[in-house]
Amino acid sequence: MKVTIKSWTGVATWRWIANDDNCGICRMPFDSCCPDCKLPGDECPLVWGACSHCFHIHCIVKWLHSQPQQQCPMCRQDWKFNNK
Amino acid sequence: MANIAAKRIKREFKEVMKSEEVAGGAIKLELVNDSWTELQGEIAGPSDTPYEGGTFVLEIKVPETYPFNPPKIRFVTKIWHPNVSSVTGAICLDILKDQWAAALTLRTVLLSLQALLSAAEPNDPQDAVVAKQYKENPQLFHMTARHWTNVYAGGPASIVEFNQKVQRLLDMGVDEHDARVALSTYDWELERATEQLFS
Repeated sequence: MKVTIKSWTGVATWRWIANDDNCGICRMPFDSCCPDCKLPGDECPLVWGACSHCFHIHCIVKWLHSQPQQQCPMCRQDWKFNNK
Repeated sequence: MANIAAKRIKREFKEVMKSEEVAGGAIKLELVNDSWTELQGEIAGPSDTPYEGGTFVLEIKVPETYPFNPPKIRFVTKIWHPNVSSVTGAICLDILKDQWAAALTLRTVLLSLQALLSAAEPNDPQDAVVAKQYKENPQLFHMTARHWTNVYAGGPASIVEFNQKVQRLLDMGVDEHDARVALSTYDWELERATEQLFS
């Protein structure tokens, strides 16, 4: 038997590889977006700190702006974006 | 209320309801209104403390800026504790002020308050009178705290002598709570308390 493929549709899934299921700031799942966004993914990316904790970028930026000291809200170490 | 605050409180509320502390009766959380801006908490007095057997009600107000700012919490139930105002119920606890972190939740805050009842911090007092007694006369502090737990938080019956002294002042026409505060403040010396009340 010989099959001729006339067309095909690729399907893929993706997920963030984070050290936790939920963002510690908004407590939404990482596979979902922060409460201010509509779609997860490139529009609402995750960022990691040098301390290894991870948040929605919108959440950690809001947190850092609201604080006199720039510390991770999980471990209170000085917050540095991990640029690995 | 800001989107993030309301959404987070809703999730936290569910999280607290599922927690083992709620199941075990150590903490409790209730909604006060539909807008998720105000809640009522309850913590059980920890064992081996003068608060044992008492139930302490807390007023929890969630600011628009939550979780970037801490919830505003005070004791509704009157309590004799160095870090809680015996007048207003205001609490002195670092995580409710400058040590707040967005990763803290209503559940962890309630547990921290319960821990505060077990381990007072008299060197960073909210109520100077209570803190002074705590440091200078720990045994009397313990008895006074137990008395307040009995009267205001439904704790087990305590010191008969204290009740009698309060009654003496009541007989003189003094308000019950005022009488208790004056006696507690003056180390249960009836004369000094009376003097202060009528001066």
